[in-house]
Amino acid sequence: MYGHTWGMTTPILGVTTEEGMDISGVIYNYLPVKEEADDFTVTVQNEKVGGGYIFQDTEDWSGGIGVRIQKVVPLAYIPIELFGDGSITTTGTGSVEDATVLYMYRWDECRNPQNNENCAGYVPPLPVIPKIEIYDALDDEFVESATKETDKDLIVEKEEEKNNDEEEEEKERLEIALAAVENALTIANTVSQASVVRAMNIATNINSYYVAQIQGGAYTETISLEGGKIVDNRKVLRSLGQDNLMNQMIEEQYK
Amino acid sequence: MKKLLLTISLIFGITTASYAVTNIVGSVESRCTVNTDTAGTYGNPNAYTLTTLPASSGQVPIVRFDVSLADAYFAQISYPTSFSTSPSLGDSVTWTGAVAVVQTSSSSMSGYQAASTTPTASMRQYALTVAGTTWFSATSVATYGGGQNKAFPSGSYTAVVVAECIAQ
Repeated sequence: MYGHTWGMTTPILGVTTEEGMDISGVIYNYLPVKEEADDFTVTVQNEKVGGGYIFQDTEDWSGGIGVRIQKVVPLAYIPIELFGDGSITTTGTGSVEDATVLYMYRWDECRNPQNNENCAGYVPPLPVIPKIEIYDALDDEFVESATKETDKDLIVEKEEEKNNDEEEEEKERLEIALAAVENALTIANTVSQASVVRAMNIATNINSYYVAQIQGGAYTETISLEGGKIVDNRKVLRSLGQDNLMNQMIEEQYK
Repeated sequence: MKKLLLTISLIFGITTASYAVTNIVGSVESRCTVNTDTAGTYGNPNAYTLTTLPASSGQVPIVRFDVSLADAYFAQISYPTSFSTSPSLGDSVTWTGAVAVVQTSSSSMSGYQAASTTPTASMRQYALTVAGTTWFSATSVATYGGGQNKAFPSGSYTAVVVAECIAQ
């Protein structure tokens, strides 16, 4: 306890204040120092997280002599998480000396299963994966600085190359345009030649060639099959068998 | 003969009458307990004095009274006026002492000392008007030689503080 106010922390209480600790009572002890006729009250208390107090215990020493007091304040197993700061406050004329506040507690280790691997519901924690920063030399400002072109001749040559490329592109565009014009003229010539030929055909009248007739008769069926049975051609069968063997040989090479 | 028979039947009637004995059992738990909180020790600051004062390497004995019922008990404490065990003493011992409230469980008990009485010179009586715990101390000083300051014979000395809880 530091002064007359203290926090409910591990260094102050002397035990680990984790989930699972319940406070079941408080024992306090102090010596009130005062004149008998003076009014004097002393309150021992603990704030509650979220507002209010877990407990407040006040002793009124007004009109009496100061006698060392030791008192037990029972509590109903209140979780440590609800406890705010503790304090001893006074009103009136007097002081508090040699004060001690003790907390009685119980410990339920498995309320939070992660407190002990033997508790039901314990989940092994995942290992912490370290964050690896990848070094990219191309992003390194020193590398960029070191690889920066500083030769003026190189810079001029590069600009000339750029200008040459632009001129070549200009030439290609011009050639493509001229080729399109030439093609158009060629198509136009073909059309004009066709019209000339048609005019010549009209003039010479070649219809007589199309009306020529060939003298001839009808071709009748002269072969007839009279009785008997049709026998398979064994030569062909052998030939088919050889073809099958050939196919097998060809397929063998792909197995 | 009838009379005899009647008499006999009367006798039978008396001997066959039934009865029962029922016990009533109860127990009373004390609502006042007395315990030794701190055992006393005599210091020996000089050859002729035994004292419980811490300044003389002694230890003042402290007894604790717990009462769960207010206004029902007296705490009666006496400091010693003789040794219960000691070497053979050829001279007289002068006894002085004091009984005081040293600690309470409530500020309402702060008036106990002022309200206490002394039935005898070595005894102090307190009315326990508040339920709770009260701690009393009993200092003791023994001087050997009857005013002549003679040295105590060497050996072990024991004296007794009597603390009682008496119903009002």
